[in-house]
Amino acid sequence: MRDLVFVGYLAAIMLLAFKRPFLFTLVYAYVDIVSPQRLSYFLLNSVPLSLILFVLAFLGFMIGDDKRDVRVAPRWVLLLVLLAYCGYTTSVAAEAVAALEKWGWVWKALVFAAFLPLTLRTKLRIEGLVLTMVLCASALIVTGGIKTAAGGGGYGSLVMLIDDNSGLFEGSIISCVAITIIPLILWLAKHGTIFKPDWKVRIYAAALIFACLLIPVGTQARTGIVCIAVLGLLLLRYARYRMLYLGGVVLIGLAAIPFLPSSFTERADTIKNYKADESASTRLAVWAWTWEYVKEHPMGGGFEVYRQNRIRYDMAQTANLGEPVPADTPDVKQIVDSGRAFHSSYFEMLGEQGFPGLIIWLIIQIGGVWRMEIIQRMYRKRNRPDEAWVAPLASALQNSQIIYLVGSLFVGIAFQAYFFMLTALQIGFDTYLSRRRKEAAWRPIKSLRSTQAEIAA
Amino acid sequence: MIDNFSILLSHALLALAFWILLNRADLDHEEPPPPDTEPEGFRVKRPDQYREPTPDA
Repeated sequence: MRDLVFVGYLAAIMLLAFKRPFLFTLVYAYVDIVSPQRLSYFLLNSVPLSLILFVLAFLGFMIGDDKRDVRVAPRWVLLLVLLAYCGYTTSVAAEAVAALEKWGWVWKALVFAAFLPLTLRTKLRIEGLVLTMVLCASALIVTGGIKTAAGGGGYGSLVMLIDDNSGLFEGSIISCVAITIIPLILWLAKHGTIFKPDWKVRIYAAALIFACLLIPVGTQARTGIVCIAVLGLLLLRYARYRMLYLGGVVLIGLAAIPFLPSSFTERADTIKNYKADESASTRLAVWAWTWEYVKEHPMGGGFEVYRQNRIRYDMAQTANLGEPVPADTPDVKQIVDSGRAFHSSYFEMLGEQGFPGLIIWLIIQIGGVWRMEIIQRMYRKRNRPDEAWVAPLASALQNSQIIYLVGSLFVGIAFQAYFFMLTALQIGFDTYLSRRRKEAAWRPIKSLRSTQAEIAA
Repeated sequence: MIDNFSILLSHALLALAFWILLNRADLDHEEPPPPDTEPEGFRVKRPDQYREPTPDA
């Protein structure tokens, strides 16, 4: 039954897209984020849905769009360089078969990220993409939020739509995504024109933000808690009454603790007690292994190279509360492990793509934070009523990016399509604004006259 | 049950958004922005930085 509904739904929105081909791009983003083919059991499973939609989106752009407005940015070029470089490292990968499998979805994410900025030619398209990304993520977040509020959840056990540990359906990744979209929800609730900001939009936005904040509680992913803390700090910059804001945040935080499940607070406690935590000890050992590996292989080992690691580390022994400690218990326990994942985007890039890959990726990411800072300062200074939406969107995109960059310290999400979409959105937004600035540029009367004289001649 | 509610809500809002976009002319074409009334941007010189052109220039 669910299959038929999804097929009908997709057919309907694709039919709409034939009238306005840009919608194919948004439908592709929807398929990429929600993966309806994985939510269904037979019909959509057997169709290369992403491929069909990408071809339609590309054809729509080639046939229907005005290419005169297309601009490229240096970071757009870097996306293509990263794509080519990843292709090269895959061809010489240490784990050839596994690398090829990861390459199979990474190149699609990168190609779409490179295609997206070319299509973002109007303000409404930019807003449409922001809204699509938020609503698609909400398909998972609403269910996760309600289940958590109803008392469900637990590390690795909160099931959102499907019991799958890949893509956005993985606990740590959805926790990070849920917090990164909060600045975007706030922007849509204030500056949106598709759903105009009235009381209904504001109530929905508030409820969705609450659900987003519940996701790290439900999945008990510690990354999410760190992301919430970063979001709190970032919003402090824009708070008018900072002390009042700080007081409010502390008060809400303290008031929330009694409502949090005890398993959550126990898990959160392991952040400070990391020496006795296996997950944290593994990370430190894997990161040390990665560093040693790239010293010998500075160009990286290709995708999935972590499968080659054999790590040995000591972990501090702690006694469980209430249990007697045997006298002969050693202080440290030695653990041997192999094939442990990177658990950090930075080390993922470093190990897989070496120093060149990490540097390109960092320029793309930090370049985004820097450009958004320039834009928001410039547009606050310009202060034109028709551009009132620009600076807040730049700061929202910047905050999302910073939250992602901090969250990805502890999760290997360097190639997640969702975050590449965020980067593509920034690039498209940036090139759109520079084109509009040129169109509106002030020209002295003298040069206007000479232009008129040229035209007359 | 909760899953179905979540899917229904998000997909209905998405379809509504697509429908609204379909009927908005500014999705594909925008009017040019109103021209700036004065020089804008970081590289703009302040009035005291302007130099009178020399007669032989």
